[in-house]
Amino acid sequence: MSDQKNEKEDFEYVVLVEFAHKHLDFLLPELLSVLEMNGVIIQQHDKEEEKEEDIDDSKSYCHMLPLPNEERYHQETKAAPQRAFALLAFPSSWYHKGNSHAQLRPEKHTQPPEERQKDPEPSKEEKDKGSSSTKTIASFLSRCVLVRRVIELWGKPGTTIPEMAENTQQWIKDKTSLGATIYHEICHPPTQSWKLTIQTLGAKYTRQEHDDMRANFAFLDFPGKVQMKQPDHEFILIREMELDTQGNPLYPRHGQLQQEHDKSQHQTTIIPQHDQRLPLACYFGRVLWARDKNSMERYDLKNRVYLGPTSMDAELSFVMANLGQVQEDSVVLDPFVGTGSILVSCAIRGAYCVGTDIDIRVLRGKEENIYSNFQQFQLPRPELIRSDNAIYHRHFRTSEPWVDTIVTDPPYGIRAGARKSGSRLDQPRVIPEEHRHDHIPQTKPYCVADVMADLLDVAARALVMGGRMVYVIPSFAKDFNPDEDLPQHDCLTVIHLSFQPFTQDLGRRMVTMKKVHDYDPKMRETYLAKTWKNGPASAEKCANIREKLMEAAKLKPGYEEKSRVRKQKRKEHKEQKKKAKLEINKPQDGQKSEE
Amino acid sequence: MRLLTHNFLQSNVKGTEKGYPLGIERGAELSVESSPVNRNLVLKMLNKVDYSALVSITNNLREERQEDIPELPPSLPETLEEETIANYHKVLFDVQLVNGFLVCPDTGRKFPVKDGIPNMILHEDEI
Repeated sequence: MSDQKNEKEDFEYVVLVEFAHKHLDFLLPELLSVLEMNGVIIQQHDKEEEKEEDIDDSKSYCHMLPLPNEERYHQETKAAPQRAFALLAFPSSWYHKGNSHAQLRPEKHTQPPEERQKDPEPSKEEKDKGSSSTKTIASFLSRCVLVRRVIELWGKPGTTIPEMAENTQQWIKDKTSLGATIYHEICHPPTQSWKLTIQTLGAKYTRQEHDDMRANFAFLDFPGKVQMKQPDHEFILIREMELDTQGNPLYPRHGQLQQEHDKSQHQTTIIPQHDQRLPLACYFGRVLWARDKNSMERYDLKNRVYLGPTSMDAELSFVMANLGQVQEDSVVLDPFVGTGSILVSCAIRGAYCVGTDIDIRVLRGKEENIYSNFQQFQLPRPELIRSDNAIYHRHFRTSEPWVDTIVTDPPYGIRAGARKSGSRLDQPRVIPEEHRHDHIPQTKPYCVADVMADLLDVAARALVMGGRMVYVIPSFAKDFNPDEDLPQHDCLTVIHLSFQPFTQDLGRRMVTMKKVHDYDPKMRETYLAKTWKNGPASAEKCANIREKLMEAAKLKPGYEEKSRVRKQKRKEHKEQKKKAKLEINKPQDGQKSEE
Repeated sequence: MRLLTHNFLQSNVKGTEKGYPLGIERGAELSVESSPVNRNLVLKMLNKVDYSALVSITNNLREERQEDIPELPPSLPETLEEETIANYHKVLFDVQLVNGFLVCPDTGRKFPVKDGIPNMILHEDEI
């Protein structure tokens, strides 16, 4: 162990993370959360020296390197705000931690268990977080839903393909570098098969052009045979171009010419000034892990048994689980459980799930219910409780925080309005004792500003120290200052904030908070009063968006007509339902139901 | 509803000081499953439970279902044998209240549990 410590880490093992080109604002938060959950901390490159004392032995460190041509990229005003790549530099020792070709296979093949060198045996402190001894870079990065490939980079990235090839050649020849070792391992034994994939983002090239690109890497000269299906090693050459938010190229290689005489005939031609532009970057390396394109399909919402109007889509609910650092044996609470769609993802990650809701109808379901969604994936049943977040502290024993992660999509009234316990009357009627057992408790509407204040208060009480809450909140793209307009709590701090645009103006934000201070029950009123920094004005921005959308809709031409049609349809539907009900009741109480 | 959940729930109708631990009315419908022992989760949750409440509810339920529900040591042992951990797993995760009533120890207010879902909602005059 002491040898390990004295040896200065070199950060020479560089891994390229390729993301899917969507949910751009979520890419880095998810990556950072998953790294941290696996005990890997991103160390600031420049502060390395002065922070020497802070280094925690139980953690591993890596550096995030800048992508090539960052400056050029930032001058593009129309480009996506985030490139779909990240470069992570790990200490070389990570390569030896079982990072052999066995990892090329999809995630279902487990890696050979390799002990992490830093902690020879799991210490007592680890009992809560679980041992991370068998983790490898690819195995934990593959947990990021938005990561598409994990690539072991062979040499410094270049701007052009020949430059990249040059760097690769140097890397494998330098006897002092990791490259020579890795190259040697791929050549011995000489029976290992391989292939080279070329990916040209946002541009199409012919087969011949691909072959020309490949020719740059002829020096690799592996002794094994080339095999297209399931080779032992897959190499990849990526040519990165500027993309816009939708993932379309800013400078497309091909344009379309419309034929004068026949408007339906299009001809594609190369746009020379675009074709000659230098790529943003070229990367070459060995694929350590690649996402199976259909991996998310089995979890797709349309394959769920029990669905509601506000079910969270599968991909984002897995992202939420990652932002919340949900892992094996985490205790996860969703205080607006609805159809349980977010909890399903957490249970798939091995969490023990608890869902509460005030609406008994969603908790119970009819033919199908929340339990059906869990049974579908052979997951243990979640615990469901009908309770009210406004008085969480009266339903639950609050002496001991017990929840590791809260994940939730609170009701904002767009598709389902919120309710809380209580009477609409100022002075509630007293319920006679003989009726109490089957009395249906009254609920009243619950304004969004209060929903959020109570949610944060539940999180501050229920979460263990360092535990995370991830929630979504609809908000407008502009005129929104996260520092002032998001709900706040003295015990919680925001660590990630990701915006998902829906339309030009409206979107939703996914907020990740962490508990940083113990909850003091005596302070409850103060906490609640401080939720909205700018008072009702802030609440108004995040919440009550329903009303704003309605108003905006009313201003659109043809609203009156459409609304009349909808009203008519609703009326017809209601009458039909009534009729059907009467039909059923007829035989039992004949004349009574006639009227 | 698992007994782990029972350990965290309380009644707090207007005028109740403590409302903990909740009783389970006699004659309730229980189901006792046999899920694989999750050692890590058991150890983690044993740190969080109110131990005396766990023992007392287990003893109450044992009056009716002695053969299915293991007996727990009256206080949490310093070192835990694998068998004891398995017993804790059984009590915390496998014993489930399907239908019946949770009863507030102070006021006698009953909270119905139906199909495993406890209804803790207070009536409008109890808030």
